[in-house]
Amino acid sequence: MDEEEIEKAVIAYLKKKGFKQTELALQEEQQLRNKNNSPSTDPDISKHILALSDAENVPAQYQEGYSKLRSWAYSSLDLYKHELLRVLYPVFIHCFMDLVAKGHIQEARAFFNSFREDHEMMHSRDLQKLEGVLSPSHLEEMEFAHSLRQSKVSIKICQYSYDLLIQYLHKTQSITMLGIINERINFQVSPGQPSSISDDAEVFTLVGSGHDAANLVNRKEIHWGLLEDSLGEKLEKAGGRITDSDKADGEVKDGELEENKKRSVDGGKGGSTLKKLKKDKVAAATGKASRSESSTASGAPRVKPELTLPIIPTEVEHSILEDLRNRVQLSSMTLPSISFYTFINTHNGLNCASISHDGSLVAGGFSDSSLKVWDMAKLGQQTGNSPLQGENELAPNENILNANAKGRSYTLFRGHSGPVYSTTFSPFGDFFLSSSSDSTIRLWSTKLNANLVCYKGHNYPVWDVQFSPMGHYFASASHDRTARIWSVDRIQPLRIMAGHLSDVDCVQWHANCNYVATGSSDKTVRLWDVQSGECVRIFIGHRSMISSLAMSPDGRYMASGDEDGKIMMWDLASGRCVSPLVGHSSCVWSLSFSCEGSLLASGSADCTVKIWDVTKSSKVSKTEENKNGNTNRLRSLKTLPTKSTPVYALQFSRRNLLFAAGALTKIA
Amino acid sequence: MSIVPKETIEVIAQSIGITNLSPDVLPAIASDVEYRVREIMQEAIKCMRHSRRTTLTTVDVDSALSLRNVEPVYGFASRDPLRFKRAAGHKDLFYIEDKDVEFKDVIEAPLPKAPLDTAVVAHWLAIEGVQPAIPENPPPEVLTVPSDNGKTAYKEDGIPVDIKLPVKHVLSRELQLYFEKITELTVGRSDSALFKEALVSLATDSGIHPLVPYFTFFVADEVSRNLNNFSLLFALMRLVWSLLQNPHIHIEPYLHQLMPSVMTCLVAKRLGNKFSDNHWDLRNFTANLVASICKRFGHVYHNLQPRVTRTLLHAFLDPSKALPQHYGAIQGLATLGPNVVRLLVLPNLEPYLRLLEPEMQLEKQKNEMKRHEAWLVYGALMRASGLCMYDRLKTLPSLVSPPARAVWKSNGKVLTTMSNKRKASMDNTMHQPPLKKLATESPMGATPANSLPVDMPGSSGGYPTIIGTADANLQSSRNESVPGSSGRKEMVGGQGPKTSAALDQAWKDDVDAGHLLPLLYEYFGESMLSFIPSPAASFFL
Repeated sequence: MDEEEIEKAVIAYLKKKGFKQTELALQEEQQLRNKNNSPSTDPDISKHILALSDAENVPAQYQEGYSKLRSWAYSSLDLYKHELLRVLYPVFIHCFMDLVAKGHIQEARAFFNSFREDHEMMHSRDLQKLEGVLSPSHLEEMEFAHSLRQSKVSIKICQYSYDLLIQYLHKTQSITMLGIINERINFQVSPGQPSSISDDAEVFTLVGSGHDAANLVNRKEIHWGLLEDSLGEKLEKAGGRITDSDKADGEVKDGELEENKKRSVDGGKGGSTLKKLKKDKVAAATGKASRSESSTASGAPRVKPELTLPIIPTEVEHSILEDLRNRVQLSSMTLPSISFYTFINTHNGLNCASISHDGSLVAGGFSDSSLKVWDMAKLGQQTGNSPLQGENELAPNENILNANAKGRSYTLFRGHSGPVYSTTFSPFGDFFLSSSSDSTIRLWSTKLNANLVCYKGHNYPVWDVQFSPMGHYFASASHDRTARIWSVDRIQPLRIMAGHLSDVDCVQWHANCNYVATGSSDKTVRLWDVQSGECVRIFIGHRSMISSLAMSPDGRYMASGDEDGKIMMWDLASGRCVSPLVGHSSCVWSLSFSCEGSLLASGSADCTVKIWDVTKSSKVSKTEENKNGNTNRLRSLKTLPTKSTPVYALQFSRRNLLFAAGALTKIA
Repeated sequence: MSIVPKETIEVIAQSIGITNLSPDVLPAIASDVEYRVREIMQEAIKCMRHSRRTTLTTVDVDSALSLRNVEPVYGFASRDPLRFKRAAGHKDLFYIEDKDVEFKDVIEAPLPKAPLDTAVVAHWLAIEGVQPAIPENPPPEVLTVPSDNGKTAYKEDGIPVDIKLPVKHVLSRELQLYFEKITELTVGRSDSALFKEALVSLATDSGIHPLVPYFTFFVADEVSRNLNNFSLLFALMRLVWSLLQNPHIHIEPYLHQLMPSVMTCLVAKRLGNKFSDNHWDLRNFTANLVASICKRFGHVYHNLQPRVTRTLLHAFLDPSKALPQHYGAIQGLATLGPNVVRLLVLPNLEPYLRLLEPEMQLEKQKNEMKRHEAWLVYGALMRASGLCMYDRLKTLPSLVSPPARAVWKSNGKVLTTMSNKRKASMDNTMHQPPLKKLATESPMGATPANSLPVDMPGSSGGYPTIIGTADANLQSSRNESVPGSSGRKEMVGGQGPKTSAALDQAWKDDVDAGHLLPLLYEYFGESMLSFIPSPAASFFL
């Protein structure tokens, strides 16, 4: 009976297609074969062929196949369920895209709507994108869909789950599903128990180049150490020499006070206490030195700069060293003071803000393409206060008076021809850069109050620009999906980093200037080698656009904040997520590490500044790196709400005072 | 299949003059329209994010269009987010209100004010991790209070007065309603049965402690503003009374705020309408209130009763004060206990009565009202002294007979021992005065409140201990005709040997009591006799 059926099917098929010659040939051959009494064929094949011949009913097959697979996965064993459910999403989107590609638009839409809720939680943003795909041409045009079609999804799955799945697919004869799974999914079958859900962040993001590529990239070696001969190191060296005289003086004085008290109590034993005092001094000095060493993480290896770095003028160097010496040690016990600069009367026009390293200059980029820079030190002096402490005393009315007297309280910079999206100050505060929607970057001098250079190179709006920690070089990120490295003295970019699948939204330099990190709308963060321009790390795990990046001062970690308010800490060496920081309810606009790297400050659109304890997690991750412990949630130390002011910028000064800026917005 | 219906495409096509669109094209265009719109939105959202905003504006859409090299949509530029209105009768249909504007109006309208220029202000968001409580920072705990002006006023005014530091103070919605209800009842319907219920609730409810500062402020505020409103004042005093009765609340910190209002209701010159309102009642009630406060909190605030007494005495001894004020003062002093009366009122009785007498006589005081008042004051005085004497006699019934000084000297010692025994039993007996008798016999019909015999063991005990003095003083005092003055002198007199103090005191008490009756009899005549406890009276008679 089998053969007859096959014959019927084949003949029907040939008739349908109008292959008359073939039909005849077939019939002849059949007659021949009947004589030879050929062996019977596999009954399965006939069914397959039958199924294939049933071409009119493609949408129904997808619908039915998927719904069966789905109900099977949901009713599978609890232990293996989450692994099986993970398979559903790629099957789902590929079913949908197959349907679209085959032209069954109506059915595709119906299919999509009937199952989208399953994936809404994990992949809502992708679904929103896919929803709009309504014709085969869209599939070609849309970057996301295109990359999905091009690549295979790799899914980690344990042996047993894999067996279960294959068994099911064979048993139920769901050829469509089997086809999709074979074609689109690359199973990484691992022996043993099913992996836990949490360590497998990759499910959330489907990268075009695929995870294999990402893994390959992440195997490259990176030197995350700090620059040799950096100022911090100089300070430590100097610290060794001058501890007796200068550096530890403050401490010792305190010690002396106590000592004096003791002495007065002790009375006569003057000589012996003096000796003791000296000893104490030495002890204090060494203690201090060791402390500073540990705090600035000088345990980090030293690397040579790959770029020729500018020479820092000696007076600037001295002032920085002075700052470093006077730095407040921050930890989970000693939280920073935060000076908040509020922009008022911005009429929703403020796009970005940045603060110079010493907190004295604040720049705002506006959507009317203007830039305004406030010199907070001057404002402070005018109201008769010292520059550092004056900031908090400024009552609004005083400020307005000032403005009236002088005309303006700020310096206005005009030059761009589109909304300004980012500004950044050079490390010494004498220059600043701005990037704009007119696809240019401009360099301005705060001394001359004038535009010096206009850098043209990007083809689309430049979303972000950042000066390197040493100055001279800067990086930019643009809507044209590239990031570029520039030096201030050339109008052409030095490097172009291409690879992101969507806009590059933010950029950040590594502490040793050899790497640049970029965050993108494709939900990945990439680390690039500045010298070679190659991508050396891909960090996958965010579920939405990356809105801010920060590098830890010891060069080991990176923090990235996304549109949903999630912050992730990454270990640069391994490319793994150390821990997600959950707490913000809206976009994280800004991240900043304290100078010794113990605290992370995050500013968000939910009008709060949060302070996170980072030391703890780093330790945990160091000890439990191998275990890949998933419970080491970082601690939120403090949430500081502002008065309806989203926090646009955060900046730790070299003395560890935290500056924050934001625009007061009226709640509608 | 597309969100954009085919019909829309058709209509739009017709609106731009394409009428012969084939029906096959419609769905294709519709789906492409949807895709393009989504694409633009995606870009617009990117622009919004990079402008550090969380609301999409028309500006973002325009920049998204320009990113795609499409002409922006003109005429909708606005920095502020659009305000959509829900179309009536449709669940998810919104529109932007677009009013017709008269051209003339636009031309003639005055120029709008120049917008304020952008400025930066700095403040401390945190100092070493602690957020300072300055106006630039949000309040530490945002009160979830509906914007009820009256109540927030209380909140803002009430708290800083009580507590120096900004303390977290959240009132639940229920408590706010409760407070509102009670104050409303107090102000408006204090004679209703509901108000009585409210008073009961105030006296018993365990959960109203958070409201105490607000009630305190309410009472103080209302009293100071409504001295003419008798019923309100009475209601307020009853409210205070109920609060004091409540065992669950801790009212001590607010007493200093309450006392001025209460004292006002006792000795104010005018309480309510002079003619129509029975302000005497209010004064009596308040007197008891004062006494109960002193009794309850006297041991916590040692200067509470002295201060109250001083205030009352000032009112009493100032001849320029009106008679109702004197009445209040006397009533207040009387409720503070017989000892207070004995020490502070009786010494001044004679000069005072001399002053009062002309006011009481028909021929000398023509004003009916004034005369009435004088008589009431006289009655209050008589009652006070009478009760005082009653107390003495009840304690020491054996000394009732008008004694000759010679007798005293001779049998002093015997008596001492006797009285000592009596003293031991005093606590039991003194709390059972024949109230009813008092009520019926009090000449002016002043209502003695239920807790009238407020004899504070604590406070009254305080005075004798001060009095306990050296023998020499005692000797001299015994020769004084006015017992009260002797008391005062003894107060000045230093510290006697403590062993003999109790003995001396008891002895002196006896002496005083012995003097009391004849003296009072002298002042008040026959009516005094009704205050003598019956067993003692029989002995006396």
